[in-house]
Amino acid sequence: MRWLQFAIDVLSLGSAYALMALGLVIVYGILRLVNFAYGELIMVAGYTMYLVSGSGLPWLVMAACAVLMSVVAGIATDYVAFRPVRNKTITAVLITSFAFSTLLQNAALLFISPRPRPVPLPEIFSRTVEIGGVVTPARNLITIAVAVVMLGLFSWLMRATVLGIAMRAAASHFTMARMLGVPANLIISSAFAISGLLAGVVSLLWIGRIGTVVPGIGLEPLLIAFIATVIGGMRSLQGAVLGGFLLALIDTSLNYTLPQELLKFRDAFTFSLVILILLWRPEGLIKGPASGRRT
Amino acid sequence: MARNLATLVILGALIAALAIGAEATGVRLFERIAITLCISLVLVLGLQVFMGNSGILSFAHIGFMGVGAYTSAVLTIPAQMKGMALPDLYPFLSGVQLSPYLGILAGGLVAAAVAAAVVYPLMRLSDAASVITSFALLVVLHNVMTNWSSVTNGPRTLFGLPKATTLPLAAAVAVAALAVALAFKESRTGLLLRASRDDEIAAAALGAHIPRLRWRAFVVSALLAGIGGGLWGHFITSFSPNAFYLKETFLILAMLVIGGPNTVTGAVAGAFVVTAAYEGLRAVEGAINRAGIFREQVVGLTELTLAVAMILVLVLRPGGLFPTREIGHHLFPARRAR
Amino acid sequence: MLEVEGLEVRYGAVRAVRGASFAVARGELVALLGANGAGKSSTLMAIAGAVRTAGGSVRLEGADVTGQRPERMARLGVATVPETRDVFPDLTVSENLRLGAFTRRDGAAEIAGDRARFLDRFPILAERADQPAGTLSGGEQQMLVIARAMMARPRVLLLDEPSLGLAPVVVDRVFGMIAGLKAAGLTILLVEQNARKALSVADRAYVMRLGRIEAAGLAAELGTADALKALYLGSDA
Repeated sequence: MRWLQFAIDVLSLGSAYALMALGLVIVYGILRLVNFAYGELIMVAGYTMYLVSGSGLPWLVMAACAVLMSVVAGIATDYVAFRPVRNKTITAVLITSFAFSTLLQNAALLFISPRPRPVPLPEIFSRTVEIGGVVTPARNLITIAVAVVMLGLFSWLMRATVLGIAMRAAASHFTMARMLGVPANLIISSAFAISGLLAGVVSLLWIGRIGTVVPGIGLEPLLIAFIATVIGGMRSLQGAVLGGFLLALIDTSLNYTLPQELLKFRDAFTFSLVILILLWRPEGLIKGPASGRRT
Repeated sequence: MARNLATLVILGALIAALAIGAEATGVRLFERIAITLCISLVLVLGLQVFMGNSGILSFAHIGFMGVGAYTSAVLTIPAQMKGMALPDLYPFLSGVQLSPYLGILAGGLVAAAVAAAVVYPLMRLSDAASVITSFALLVVLHNVMTNWSSVTNGPRTLFGLPKATTLPLAAAVAVAALAVALAFKESRTGLLLRASRDDEIAAAALGAHIPRLRWRAFVVSALLAGIGGGLWGHFITSFSPNAFYLKETFLILAMLVIGGPNTVTGAVAGAFVVTAAYEGLRAVEGAINRAGIFREQVVGLTELTLAVAMILVLVLRPGGLFPTREIGHHLFPARRAR
Repeated sequence: MLEVEGLEVRYGAVRAVRGASFAVARGELVALLGANGAGKSSTLMAIAGAVRTAGGSVRLEGADVTGQRPERMARLGVATVPETRDVFPDLTVSENLRLGAFTRRDGAAEIAGDRARFLDRFPILAERADQPAGTLSGGEQQMLVIARAMMARPRVLLLDEPSLGLAPVVVDRVFGMIAGLKAAGLTILLVEQNARKALSVADRAYVMRLGRIEAAGLAAELGTADALKALYLGSDA
């Protein structure tokens, strides 16, 4: 029975982690750009939920608004933090997104509040479900289901649609894709929009565990996405998903096995294990699209 | 060589002028700002040693500042105070009480040792992976500092450090850091590192083992960060782990980026410019709040403005104020070969 | 069809192309020859929009298309095959071909028909239709990228050094493909270091040296041994 509990924990946590990682990699894979403001896309969804919570709309409608706002914020990140510095040094781009992240967080601090604000949750999140003798929040199962659906949709998009094929092509050879007529701006905006969509969905599931939103709420998911991406292989979409589940496995295992006094150092242990993985495989577990260029 | 000496002299004189000027005015506020600026110089120069030579962004720097600060704290808090400040401290440490100068040095050494032990795997990663892993390292260092209560008093404020950082001391250390940064840049390690940024294969042919070179740069950088942390600890005399996290990282990065990460002059210039802007904006924010212009307290305006400024600098002048040449090179340009 | 006047391309302080002027008439195969570094590829990439021009003009059927973005040139019917080939290595051969038709507005059936025809005509591609394109040999990749370019049903084909890095037997096969495209009436601008091969399929040729066009003429004339020697070694050799 412990095993079933363990499995459900890993799968539900891994589902969230995988979606977080995917949202980050889709921008990195095509543009070679690390979006430090990614965590803030999650924050934006959370604050949107808070701001519309008094409207009396059904939860699903509010959730749709939140996800929409994340998509908008994602596209805004492109225009503010990436396009102006597109052809400058890699450092410049990293820092503009970091600066934009600070900007958004401080905007939330300034214009809303530094204190936690409540986020409306659907009634179903608080219910528990019994499976095979194990009692678990319904939210966990919903997370797994949502992830399966989103990953499936995403996979279909990448393989079966022209846009997806074009995006994969742009990830290896951006200029060549343009020479075939693929509009650069469309690809980039699509990548950011999808990133925002994934961030928005994950936000609802992630914030659903705590019920409140603060300006710094995006930091933990950002970190998770970072680590999952690095161990999975920086530019591989499958790698990001795999990295997410692997990270969830490590985190959950540590949760189950660490003695009480060491539990608060769990992140340090996770990081040490990640370092070991990187010592063994610096490029990550799965190689990304071949391109011969320095990533 | 002469030009580097010129840079050292010019920038060193600038720091000295700052110190003397601030002390001469006798205004406590100016003295405080000058000391903070000198400490920032130590930190930014440390970051420049790694970022300027390897070309890789590191977010972990301020974490090592924290390591230095806490190390010095544990070694220098007077024995009587330790009982109150760190009640759960390990017995072999509770009796130790060193002079603050030794404490600061020890802080630097411990930070360097931790860096040496932990970061080698990161130096083998590709640029982007290295950056985001350094970010994770910052979070982990913060996590350890927040939870290792017996040594750090956990998330609570640790107090009791002797106030030993005077303006002359801070300025002297800043000038020393300046010398270290310039020396490293022109050392064999520094030159090879910078060469490897442009052409990895050619540099390898010259015998450059890039991860090892990066590692050396990082360790030196952590040493300076630790010393900076110790200096700061003995200035402010009490702090908590949140003093070594994102906001400070952002400020240090702003200084280096706006000044120019590739040059030591840039690091110094950036520290001066951003400190001036920061103090100015803080004063404005304070004035707004006192005047009660808005219903609620204005918070975060300073960071917001700096963030916008950083983005503008990167768009308009991506290399910073001093993108490629040190000030010594500007004033004494190399003669063109005939 | 294609008119280039006074084209200038600079990389920083280096002038790679200095005032090149030439023309390609409809249905012609024109070769741009010259040694390494002569500026041929830069010229081609500038026409394609992949590289910025510093001066001069490019006209396509009379319309000024100087400095247009690569996406726009593709939509105007200019297909480019760069020197680096640039197959998309993780997409299958089939997916590569499918992407070639990106700019087409006619139906999926037409596009699929074209794809089937190419696979038919080049059985080696058909064999590997579902393999990642990165696993193909150099010659196979060259044929794939030419076929991919043709999927767009372009008006003009720009080819950059198709023979690069390929064994002579494979070069023959690739040039057989090119000759077939010419025979079907396609307008082609061919950049090549392998002068002999290029002149065997071209109608006319220009010779570039240090960024300038130094000679021009019918392929037959330039194909003589003396002329070729002069081309590559310079007339004062």
